[in-house]
Amino acid sequence: MPAPKIAIDYDKCTTPFDCKKCLQICPQGVFWVLPVKNVKFQETDPKEPGAWKLTVQYRALCPNCGKCVEVCPVEAITITMNDKGKKR
Amino acid sequence: MCEYCDKYGEGTLWYLNPKNYGRQLYRRRRPGYVPDAVSYRQQRDKLWTEYFEAVADEKENVEELRQELDSLVRSEEPCQVVPLNDCLQLVEIAQPIVSMSCICRKQMRAADERSPAEYTCTGLGVGMLKWERWPERYRGGVHFMSIDEAKEWLIRLDKKGMMHCVMVYGTSYGGRPFVGGLCNCDYPDCYEIRHRLDFNITHHLLKSHYVAMIDFELCNGCGICAQRCQFGALKMENSRGKANIDMLSCFGCGLCQTACPRSAITLVERETIPALKEEW
Repeated sequence: MPAPKIAIDYDKCTTPFDCKKCLQICPQGVFWVLPVKNVKFQETDPKEPGAWKLTVQYRALCPNCGKCVEVCPVEAITITMNDKGKKR
Repeated sequence: MCEYCDKYGEGTLWYLNPKNYGRQLYRRRRPGYVPDAVSYRQQRDKLWTEYFEAVADEKENVEELRQELDSLVRSEEPCQVVPLNDCLQLVEIAQPIVSMSCICRKQMRAADERSPAEYTCTGLGVGMLKWERWPERYRGGVHFMSIDEAKEWLIRLDKKGMMHCVMVYGTSYGGRPFVGGLCNCDYPDCYEIRHRLDFNITHHLLKSHYVAMIDFELCNGCGICAQRCQFGALKMENSRGKANIDMLSCFGCGLCQTACPRSAITLVERETIPALKEEW
């Protein structure tokens, strides 16, 4: 059955590398955090809003346990079950 | 013999052949290289996203995408598991050797490794001289190690329960692989292990040239090895009161072997087990 859909609100989630709560708590390691602002010879600042981006890399492994939703301080993550599938 | 030993081993294991550490291999352009063409990384990243989404949504083209991705990785960035003993030989021929922050852990768990005490990745070869010039971007850059320091470092990480694999950059560059990294990985924060185990992309992590076997008489069932297997191959078997290794799942990383206080586990050459000969 298809995996749940995970949506991230990027207006709310701005400094994921600094916060890293969801990245650390996820039992399946579903998320990736990537630097989107790359300046040569400069480290991407973890505290700069928008410089890092939280992405959902391994959605196939998500069991919708809700840990990331719970732990997110800005309520940026929503997970919805995929209609096509039954309960996972 | 694995496909890389066959092509690049010249009588030894391919990662123990000094020719594959040649300084002139680094950054050599592949024949027919076009500067503005889509790079390997861009191609790979795009395919990754497509493939992982296809798996999540159970699309029909999953197998097609998997094969495409696997053949791309095979030609550009294959990895192979290397047990500690071979690693200790390997650092004698690869120079320079550095410790540095691990990019997988940074991406997957937002690990912020900032000093040699925290670093968990090993870099090999002349490429490291370039990385050193970018200290801000790479967190205090890289920490150069002597051969003896490198050996100590690898043994320390092995004790922590990290398995090692060699990383190759561009097997098609100059017709040879350039061995550029020696990763110290554990599941799930290593993408090589995950892509092999969870997504079946074979060339992201090939099995090693060995497979672990337990001496039935020597094993006393202490269970120290049981928590170290990254691949779910080793478990304690209740009925026998001893550890058991599933040889088909074993990647031959040797983590169980280095932990065994009774030396009951040995690494046997994969070649000597008829049905595992071609299992990579």
